[in-house]
Amino acid sequence: MFATRRITQTASRRLFSTQLATSTATLTDFNAFNPTEEHKGLREMVRAFAENEVEPQALEYNRAEKFNIPLFRKLGDLGLLGITVPEEYGGSGMDATAMCIAMEELSAVDPAFCLSYLAHSTLFVNNLNINGNHEQKMKYLTAASSGSLIGGMCMSEPGAGTDVLGMSTKATSKGDSWVINGTKMWITNGTVDGVNTGDAFLVYARTGEKRTDLSMFIVEKDMPGFTLGQKIEDKLGMRASMTAELVFEDVVVPQENMVGSLNGAALCMMRNLEIERVALAAMSSGIARRCVEEMAKYSMQRRAFGATIGEFGQIQKMIAESYAEFMASRSYIYNTSNNLDLNSAGNVMDSDGVKLFAGAMAKRVADCAIQTMGGNGYTGEYRVEQLWRDSKLLEIGGGTNESHHKNMTKWFKKDDGRIE
Amino acid sequence: MRVMVGVKRVVDYAVKVRVAADKKAVDLANVKMSMNPFCEIAVEEAVRLKEAKKATEVIAVSVGPKASAETLRTALAMGADRGIHIMTDIRTDQELGSLSVAKILAKVASEESPDAIILGKQSIDGDFGCTGSMLASLMDVPQCTFAAKIDFDASTVERETDTGTEIVKFPGLPAVFTADLRLNEPRYATLPNIMKAKKKKIDTKSIEDLGVELSEGNEVLEVFEPPPREAGILVDDVDGLVDKLKNEASVI
Repeated sequence: MFATRRITQTASRRLFSTQLATSTATLTDFNAFNPTEEHKGLREMVRAFAENEVEPQALEYNRAEKFNIPLFRKLGDLGLLGITVPEEYGGSGMDATAMCIAMEELSAVDPAFCLSYLAHSTLFVNNLNINGNHEQKMKYLTAASSGSLIGGMCMSEPGAGTDVLGMSTKATSKGDSWVINGTKMWITNGTVDGVNTGDAFLVYARTGEKRTDLSMFIVEKDMPGFTLGQKIEDKLGMRASMTAELVFEDVVVPQENMVGSLNGAALCMMRNLEIERVALAAMSSGIARRCVEEMAKYSMQRRAFGATIGEFGQIQKMIAESYAEFMASRSYIYNTSNNLDLNSAGNVMDSDGVKLFAGAMAKRVADCAIQTMGGNGYTGEYRVEQLWRDSKLLEIGGGTNESHHKNMTKWFKKDDGRIE
Repeated sequence: MRVMVGVKRVVDYAVKVRVAADKKAVDLANVKMSMNPFCEIAVEEAVRLKEAKKATEVIAVSVGPKASAETLRTALAMGADRGIHIMTDIRTDQELGSLSVAKILAKVASEESPDAIILGKQSIDGDFGCTGSMLASLMDVPQCTFAAKIDFDASTVERETDTGTEIVKFPGLPAVFTADLRLNEPRYATLPNIMKAKKKKIDTKSIEDLGVELSEGNEVLEVFEPPPREAGILVDDVDGLVDKLKNEASVI
């Protein structure tokens, strides 16, 4: 009862919810997955686009390890690239839940394509939208929202992953500029053609003595000293999304490209990691939804021992448990996103919690889908094997499961350990 | 020019329908509903006229249950300016017949005085394909059905026929057009437009408000699944095939 009331109250504060703000709305009208009419319209639109345009190219692009740039730019036409950006900067001005909806629907057809979308719209666009100043937003967000600019974010390094504050990339002050030196690793959209770097990046670099003395800079393609180290080939999954190592060698960046305050980027980073993790969890949710649908459909057609295999208890167990786990996870994700203010920090318990739970859930569900579909499920044509491979990334990227364990346990120490 | 388009809420084209337990209809419980695909084409055509500055206003009209407002909202998100919802709980897939719908649309048209009315050529539930023609007759205006291309400057319509397309000239506006598959490819409603659609107005009226007397529709006696396809047979040779095509199938 309390939980439901809390959702309704939060939803009524939501900027774009006018229907729920009226006192006549009853609790039964509330759907956490589509809290407003706009969210519902968004989901229908993205699903139609995903099924008609994204699904048909997924197998080919994932096999070739190529990123589909023209298709990506179409997301800009639909208003999805700047989904959380105010209209002023060319965006759609929506919220965390809208972001989850777009992720879930795109991921259900091609998680790799969706991952590139996430790196752009969450890690670059939303990050700059929350932490940047007016000039920076005018300059970069308009292009990024339309899709003429494809961006990413540089945090991890060859020697610093989960221990992100142990990064060694450095920016040193030189007159009105900063000089960046270092190497960044596992950068989604680091290259989009396999030859050059992507268009623009938010780069975290060390600017002081303390472990948390980090600042964030905008680095653009073609800045002298900024090069593509390597395109990372032969990944287990997410193959239609390009991942790269990026090298910074005496890259001179003007002061106006510093995002936020000097040594203030650790907060920006933590705040953006929270929405990133919820968005990644929504990707897991999309993978699981598709897998449940595929295995259920298959089980009603495939025959063995004189019956459809859906008549057998072993298969029923996999389908029913997968659906229940998917819906439990999905409910947790949207309960979190519906309460997540993009300007806030300190939501680690649930932003990490949803990703921890959803990541493992999707991997299990994808495994059940392959098992249900047997040899067919093991081949590309039936699609679930890609989902199974892609699902694994979501236990590593955007925070390993182990980093979630650490963050979440820390929360208990900090607070009094009571769960409201 | 002011354009009125009809939009109908129907069972989504991708849904495999089931027959209801009483065998009087298909089961609509928990079934995904969408805008009739041919209505989407009609909306797209009207919105393109607006974008080309040939139309000044696009009015979307839907006859159906409360949820038809969602379908209207989709039309508004695609670019229609306002909506008119004629609310009814009579099932629109079989009980509310084409003539009744045509009468309702004719009444709405008499109040709105559009220059062009664009409908889908048929809805994919009842599949009658009569509403457009009936509407034109009731309004006593020209009808251009199965349109593959409409040229308002030249007053011509290229229309689909069984053997290809033909170009016909229409005497002028107002006129009723029905959209066929090749007229255009409907757009996806963009997210900013989905949000703008919320602010657009939908007028809701009942059939009684309009003062339209409905015509008796068809009575559905029984709904049943198509019989499953029978297994094929192998013929020994070409002569055997020709014999069967000629004497059993009577197709040659």
